[in-house]
Amino acid sequence: MGGVVDALTHLAGGFGIALQPLNLLLAFAGVFVGTFVGMLPGIGPINAIAILIPITFATGLSPASALILMAGIYYGSQYGNSISTILLNVPGTASAVVTALDGHAMTRAGRGGPALAMAAIASFAGGTVSIFFLVFFAPLLAEWAIRFGPAEYFALMVFAFAALSSLAGGSLVKGLAATALGLLLATVGLDPNSAIPRYTFGQIKLLDGMDFVVVTIGLFAVSEVLQLLEETERGQAVTRGFGRVMVTLRELLTSLGAMVRGSVLGFLVGVLPGAGGTIASFLAYSTEQRVSDRTGTFGKGDIRGVAAPEAANNAAANGAMIPLLTLGVPGSGTTAVLLGALLGLGVTPGPLLITEEPDLFWGLAASMYVGNVFLLLLNLPLVGLFVRALTLPRWFLLPGVAALSFVAVYAVNQSPFDLVLMTGFGVAGYFLRRTGVPLAPIILGLVLGPLMEKSLRRAMSLSGGEWEILFSSPIAVTLWLLAAASLVGPPLLARRIRTRAAASTPTRTPPG
Amino acid sequence: MRAATGTDRILGGVLLVLGVAVAGEATTFDVLFLTDPVGPKALPLAAAAILVGSGALLAIRPGLGGGWPRPGTLLRMAGAVATFSAYAALLAPLGFVLATTATVASLSILFGGPWKRSVVVAAALSVALWYLFVWLLGLPLPLGAVWGASWMR
Repeated sequence: MGGVVDALTHLAGGFGIALQPLNLLLAFAGVFVGTFVGMLPGIGPINAIAILIPITFATGLSPASALILMAGIYYGSQYGNSISTILLNVPGTASAVVTALDGHAMTRAGRGGPALAMAAIASFAGGTVSIFFLVFFAPLLAEWAIRFGPAEYFALMVFAFAALSSLAGGSLVKGLAATALGLLLATVGLDPNSAIPRYTFGQIKLLDGMDFVVVTIGLFAVSEVLQLLEETERGQAVTRGFGRVMVTLRELLTSLGAMVRGSVLGFLVGVLPGAGGTIASFLAYSTEQRVSDRTGTFGKGDIRGVAAPEAANNAAANGAMIPLLTLGVPGSGTTAVLLGALLGLGVTPGPLLITEEPDLFWGLAASMYVGNVFLLLLNLPLVGLFVRALTLPRWFLLPGVAALSFVAVYAVNQSPFDLVLMTGFGVAGYFLRRTGVPLAPIILGLVLGPLMEKSLRRAMSLSGGEWEILFSSPIAVTLWLLAAASLVGPPLLARRIRTRAAASTPTRTPPG
Repeated sequence: MRAATGTDRILGGVLLVLGVAVAGEATTFDVLFLTDPVGPKALPLAAAAILVGSGALLAIRPGLGGGWPRPGTLLRMAGAVATFSAYAALLAPLGFVLATTATVASLSILFGGPWKRSVVVAAALSVALWYLFVWLLGLPLPLGAVWGASWMR
């Protein structure tokens, strides 16, 4: 079939776009700033993306360039998260929890440098393997996705919500409540079908609905600042000697298998909606432990215990781009934020994106790869700089992040009203975090809610009000079954992950 | 932090009340003629049903939660919230540089920074951000009504 050849041709064209000087510069800037913000204790990737994306909008870049900047931020923030995980044992996301097991053990043994280098190399390996999968699978899935009608989309979104609710961490009941809160936020504003206002309480500024940037920064960043106020007394103790940020050839060779297995596993799990990165890194770690831990060194600073989850995590991040780009349906909090950003740039992901805007799609695929290369080439020499920044006191770093958040929120509508909303969401986010409600489903509900409602109403209009249309095609029925399965199955698996992770890792709840 | 079932009960209660209020408001979404068989009430009512259901479950069968922070910490959090709110109110009249300096400095002090250095760092950061966004990125930030003239440009 010519599809793959076409894909490769387009990918080459994509590299042509990604390698333009301005775009290279943007990729570098994105990776650098993303690493810095993603590394800050407690801030993590989702905050980094939410804060930096509106600033991307404000620059007035072309969609392709803005996407490249965003891809850089996405990757950079993931790696920044690895830095604080390995050096400080503070995973910013649930997916980094298993990296802490061996990564921080290595730091304690004075080998933090090799651990950081391996994290970068493994992430690069994960990115490389998964970009090939992306090239082959995305066009296939897009071809298949064209057959999706509104009923199938509705079922798909129910599946995404069900999967994320049960996998986002915490209890299923709280996950479902979070999804409902997100859907509710999505209904605020003028109803597009009947043009009546919903939940605006007479506020003209609410007629346009809730902006996802305001909600995300409030829920994640502001509530994080409040949460961190509890911990101000504790300073950050970075272990001084951590060795050169480099791995030996022998370490590289012994970790090769771990990286390949982690990458493939990570990608496959990442394509599924739900907590892709978390499940992927956990599966990769436990698989690697079974396959290659013959001497019982895992958990005590085995470099393969860093390589496998880091490769899987990055591959899963790429895998998650497939449903996002071909179906327009994200499966995690972070990809939901990315979808919001794409919509904000006037790009509507879906089956037609590949055929109608090949430049954009393949430019993004290529720039994801360029971002990976930058991570490897620039972060290795710059790690010392990042580590020094980690030792800066919190009173210096965090208010600066808060100021950036203010600018980001203000940039959306140039309205102080949004700052009030942001503060309100910050307080709500703190309360939800405190009570163990996962925040990612709220963002997914907010971003997908309008699409979900539109699909349902279109399907029902087509059928003249007959509910059977929602179950009328094999695709739809399969998706409903998957949704049901993801409500029943993963809580069992998640329980296993939690007990395993709780055995030897920090207790701080990651925000996503 | 003490482990307690109280947090889940409070959360359950809040979700329950919110769900009922949401459903109540949804019943007022009346349209003159039906544009589609589903209408504007369906999704809010479905979300409300989930909220009521999960809220009731949490209130009846709470798990162990983390408890609440100490009064001193709560006070500092209230201070931070007040600072955020003040920022929203002061941004337009005072302008970006002054409002941001005041807010960032207050936050630094809440995070335990020495107050003199906090103010200096906050002022430097605000001016740097102003030039970064207004000059380099072309994002219009408020200049401040009290200044009248545009002396900063």
